[in-house]
Amino acid sequence: MELAEPNREILSRRAEIVAGLKSILPDGVVADRAGLAAFDGDALSAYRQAPLVCVLPRTKEQVAAVLNFANANGVPIVPRGAGTSLSGGALPRADGILIALGRMNRILEIDIDNRAVTVEPGVTNLAITRAVEEQGFYYAPDPSSQIACTIGGNIAENSGGLHCLKYGLTTNNLLSVTLTTIDGETVLLGSGGGYDLMGVVTGSEGLLGVVVEATVRILPKPPMTRTLMAAFGSVPDAGQCVAEIIASGIVPAAMEFMDRYCIEAVEAYCAPGYPKGAEGVLVIDADGLRSEVDEAIARIAAIARGLGAEVREATDEAERARLWAGRKSAFPAMGRLAPDMLCMDGTIPRRKLPEVLARMSAMAKDYGLGFCNVFHAGDGNLHPLIIFDAMKEGELARAEAFGADILRLCVEVGGVLTGEHGVGVEKRDLMPAMFDESDLAQQQRLKCAFDSAGLLNPGKVFPTLSACVEQGHLHVSDGRMPWPNLPRY
Amino acid sequence: MFAETEAQVVDTVRAAREGRRTLEIVAGGTRRSVGLPAPCDEVLDVSRLRGIVDYQPEELILTVRPSTPLAEIENVLATRNQRLGFEPQDWSALLGSCGAASIGGAVSANADGPAAVRFGRARDHLLGIRAVNGFGEAFKAGGKVVKNVTGFDIPKLFCGALGTLGVLTELTFRVFPKGPSLVLAKRGLDPDEGFALLREAWSSPLDATALILARDTAYVRIEGEAQSLAEKRRLLDGWSEEETIDFGFAPGPRDIWRVLCKPTDAGALVRKVAAPVWYADRAGALLWMAAEPAQSTKFASLDAECVRGSARQPRSAARAELDRRVKAAFDPLGLFNPGRMGV
Repeated sequence: MELAEPNREILSRRAEIVAGLKSILPDGVVADRAGLAAFDGDALSAYRQAPLVCVLPRTKEQVAAVLNFANANGVPIVPRGAGTSLSGGALPRADGILIALGRMNRILEIDIDNRAVTVEPGVTNLAITRAVEEQGFYYAPDPSSQIACTIGGNIAENSGGLHCLKYGLTTNNLLSVTLTTIDGETVLLGSGGGYDLMGVVTGSEGLLGVVVEATVRILPKPPMTRTLMAAFGSVPDAGQCVAEIIASGIVPAAMEFMDRYCIEAVEAYCAPGYPKGAEGVLVIDADGLRSEVDEAIARIAAIARGLGAEVREATDEAERARLWAGRKSAFPAMGRLAPDMLCMDGTIPRRKLPEVLARMSAMAKDYGLGFCNVFHAGDGNLHPLIIFDAMKEGELARAEAFGADILRLCVEVGGVLTGEHGVGVEKRDLMPAMFDESDLAQQQRLKCAFDSAGLLNPGKVFPTLSACVEQGHLHVSDGRMPWPNLPRY
Repeated sequence: MFAETEAQVVDTVRAAREGRRTLEIVAGGTRRSVGLPAPCDEVLDVSRLRGIVDYQPEELILTVRPSTPLAEIENVLATRNQRLGFEPQDWSALLGSCGAASIGGAVSANADGPAAVRFGRARDHLLGIRAVNGFGEAFKAGGKVVKNVTGFDIPKLFCGALGTLGVLTELTFRVFPKGPSLVLAKRGLDPDEGFALLREAWSSPLDATALILARDTAYVRIEGEAQSLAEKRRLLDGWSEEETIDFGFAPGPRDIWRVLCKPTDAGALVRKVAAPVWYADRAGALLWMAAEPAQSTKFASLDAECVRGSARQPRSAARAELDRRVKAAFDPLGLFNPGRMGV
């Protein structure tokens, strides 16, 4: 993907723009080269671009003033939380202001009786749970970057996690959102009647406004969680097991699938003890009251054994952690096998899993690349990891082409381009694979209702007329993940 | 005018666009009194656009046409021990209307039921739509899988939009398993006692699928397989088992209001409004009230929606402007139910 040429007229006004922003935020403007380098991208590390200027507001009033300024001066503006987006959602523009909300990190109200926490956008996902766990509550959406990622970014991307099937994505756990529009107006969404604008702003990838405050729902912590591992001799058996669990009325708290390549990689990496020779492994959590969990685990084990699986139930926390360790180290384990890795994110109807895996194996042979699959089996969200060596001639392009083919395959079998990472810049040019002209026209009209001048996060989500090479990935260069200290699963 | 297929909806809307004639979209026809009065030039009857398109129980996915009766959907899902999590409600008894309440109408009116306290409202279940907009173009949005963040979440906008954004032609939902359930009640409570009990249940691991206060009675509905249902039952020691929830909500000809509030504010709010008829849903987060039109000023400062009646709730200028622009993004000529949403 090539980034659009910056607008030279805006570049020529840089000094004036920086001065104008400094008058709004005397201590919150980053304009020097070294300072801006810290903001030159997000976790989609293949793309790097320093912003024209970066602002660090502390209050909603400052956010409104900055947006007003951008609007009045016709300067694009890109919102950023912690910069952990896997799709380039927070990728800056050379001709745009980057508005980083990290300083707005106060928890404003904890209301246990009403199961609600009100926060500024720069509060991290995990900080919400930390703030209420002593009282026995937690915030359910748990993207793997939850220690770093912010609630503002979670809302922009409608972030998911391992527990979505039972507890929903970000959008299902919000009570209200305060949004500042490009006109500098601040509006409360999620209450007061009218259209469900909170619903459409959530997951809008920074294209409709800047979230300056949010109230989220917290849940009572389940009294217990039990974990079970089932290893299968064939992928269709594992898929059948998932289908039978769901059809039997059980909604597991988490249900993760790993294919043979992934099992081999994680066994070599941290030896979690998955059976040798298995074609697929499921790791399943059930949570709730004791009897509820015991019933669910017993039924899941019976279903899995009925399909010939080798089943192991964790009897203590240490064993639970061990069963999960393999799944949670899939990224680093694959990262060890080759210098570079792409992480894809599509969703498929679960029943298509055997077909999709078989066709991906054939594609991998054609492309001559290694890959493995981790799969949020409960909700059909597939994360293929493609490994390659960018130093080898043409290998990056082949990996990107393989990734794009996988996402097209997801759409072809009835699924979607992205289950939880967002479109951003990475899948922007694949949008026509899923949406036809009238679908995209309607989405763009909605964009115009919020931002007629197209100043909010331009270049993201929607393909431009000059579509270039299609791709979709998380790029890992030199064997190093962006955000190397964050777990990714 | 009738439309039996999406192509016919497109033709009808294009003709209406040419002739600048406004359309009232009617499926089951049971909710025509919901929202602000909106006289239209013509009725677009989509009641024949009905039936189940696809049901994949093991994927938890259901795709239907908009005029499919709620009863038909419930019956089909029940054969696989599943249900729609938002428990869509037939309001015909409430509104004194006749006809078969449809899924399209339930979504468009946000007619969710008690289970929304556990599973969320219509917006949390509608995954994808097909619709015809005011340009006379058929389009789709969302997807047919439970986890999807591709493009704007337009399906949510259609929930509660009272048919003002477009004509729905297909809806895809996620569904939930439905286990055995039990309704438990405690009587003789004043509102503060009742709300306190419901909030306690709401913050417990019971995962209750109904938390209702009606007159002097608190109701909790619990669900689960044999052992877990028994464990939940034990946690509600002192509660009596009931056949059903008696909402006792007979509004008569009065205006009908839905008021959203913090559960801890519900008791004070009930006293302040002093509506002659009311009940509380979602542990007090939603109050249903019936009041004389003369009392409508009492609701002006609340997060309240007039389900039936002509009271117009105040909205901030910035918020109203956004709503107007969103409406125009789908229906710039104002062909569909103009004025019904107050913009």
